[in-house]
Amino acid sequence: MHRRLPLPLVGLAAIGAIFVALPVVALVVRAPWGELGEALGGVGAGSAFRLSVVVSVAATVLSVVFGVPLAWVLARGSFPGRSVLRAVVVLPLVLPPVVGGLGLLFALGRSGVAGRWLHEALGIQLTFTTWGAIVAATFVSMPLVVIATEAGLRSIDPRYELAAATLGARPSRAMWRVVMPMLAPQVAAGAVLAWARALGEFGATITFAGNLAGRTQTLPLAVYQARQTDPGGAIFLSLILVVISIVVLVSMRHRLTGGR
Amino acid sequence: MFPLVSLVLKLYAARLWEGGNVNRRFIVISVLVFTGAACSSNDSSGSAATSSADAETHLTVFAASSLTAVFQDAIGPDFEAQHDGLTITFNFGASDSLAGQIQSEGTADVFASASGTWMDAVQDDPGVTDRSDFATNQLVIITPPDNPADIASIDDLATPGVQLVLAAEGVPVGDYAREALENAGILKEAEANVVSNEEDNASVVAKVTADEADAAIVYTSDVSSAAGNDVTAVEIPEDVNVLAIYPIAVVTGAPDATLAGEFLSYVLSDAGQASLEEYGFGTAS
Repeated sequence: MHRRLPLPLVGLAAIGAIFVALPVVALVVRAPWGELGEALGGVGAGSAFRLSVVVSVAATVLSVVFGVPLAWVLARGSFPGRSVLRAVVVLPLVLPPVVGGLGLLFALGRSGVAGRWLHEALGIQLTFTTWGAIVAATFVSMPLVVIATEAGLRSIDPRYELAAATLGARPSRAMWRVVMPMLAPQVAAGAVLAWARALGEFGATITFAGNLAGRTQTLPLAVYQARQTDPGGAIFLSLILVVISIVVLVSMRHRLTGGR
Repeated sequence: MFPLVSLVLKLYAARLWEGGNVNRRFIVISVLVFTGAACSSNDSSGSAATSSADAETHLTVFAASSLTAVFQDAIGPDFEAQHDGLTITFNFGASDSLAGQIQSEGTADVFASASGTWMDAVQDDPGVTDRSDFATNQLVIITPPDNPADIASIDDLATPGVQLVLAAEGVPVGDYAREALENAGILKEAEANVVSNEEDNASVVAKVTADEADAAIVYTSDVSSAAGNDVTAVEIPEDVNVLAIYPIAVVTGAPDATLAGEFLSYVLSDAGQASLEEYGFGTAS
């Protein structure tokens, strides 16, 4: 049956939709399509694309590996300072990325609090390396996995775990066989958001990892560098980001909204 | 204005979060993601703060990032002190970015560029008046205070493994630095050592003051006592060094062209030139 929606609602929704869609349309309209090939070659689109894929995927994996256990501890553990820990873990979401990058520099740079030790004892330097870009992207995207997973865990009744325990399952078995299957969609949704955030990461990366083609220059950094000297190339690089994002978000839409 | 909106959204998001169910929380996450993204794109637009409401006049000056210290701490306040109720808004950035912003947004009264190239671009579109050269600068190598890679001369930048930071090509100091390396005959070797191409001069300096890079090429004005950076300077000999000439002009269509002209006169006056010298710049003529 066809439902009528209130007119003001539809009007505001239309303005909202146009507002969000317009910048993408503008990019398509302003792109110098005739120079597609040379523009993409000129800005090193290939290496920036590969690097963006590597960095965003690695950051997503790290975010899940560390973010899911963190969410578990936050949702199921009871210890003093839990709410403080939660606030700290979610902080990178609200922090301007450049502040996060500066913090990473002072923590993990080669003369940073922990970075000095890494550099002197193990000879590891994160700044100006692809690992540095991955660290920066993980820093900003892990909170999304934590938030989504914790929200999921809170909606799962702890009595499932209790029931599994009464049937003889050890906690780790109950976690993997009972809770994880119910939790998986939430973790996946968090991972997609984390991946999207990592793909678009700019401020923390350029501040912490620097900007070098093939090593730390991901697509957003390549767009930033090309925008003045080669605006056409910058537009095509931007459109690559738009297309990847749309493809993944559309293919994951069920997971993200829980809708049809 | 935007940071305020962003803050309000975040506070609202925090309240929703407290009492939210799963679906609500996804709205919150989305809001956080997008305000976060907005912050990062805001970084690039520089420090164009709006003036307070009771200011009677204001002047917008777009200036190369190497001019940050001298304009913000000396020339700006001194000029404001001569004009009651005047607020100067500075937008510092790489000259190439500033030229682009002036062409697309056209909100600048004055443009002070670190190279003639980008002033030429603005002169073509939207046009300038009263253009004149007001300062010069040269290049110097900077290293962290303990000089970890033992850089003693420009030739040492060719040593494999030295972590060298330059400004990106197109950014005046980046182009000047490559010119100097070319003059020294080590451009290829030095470019192989580049670990980061920074977007403006200030970012290049920051990578060295943070002790991340072994060396960088910046302006001599960056190591003047007035700029006060925590670095060691290694001089580049005259015969390979490059002279950067800074032009300044009133931008056509300036909201307040008269005041902009007065600002130019002040920068070119004895007092303005003395401030520039104090901050390590050479004088115009």
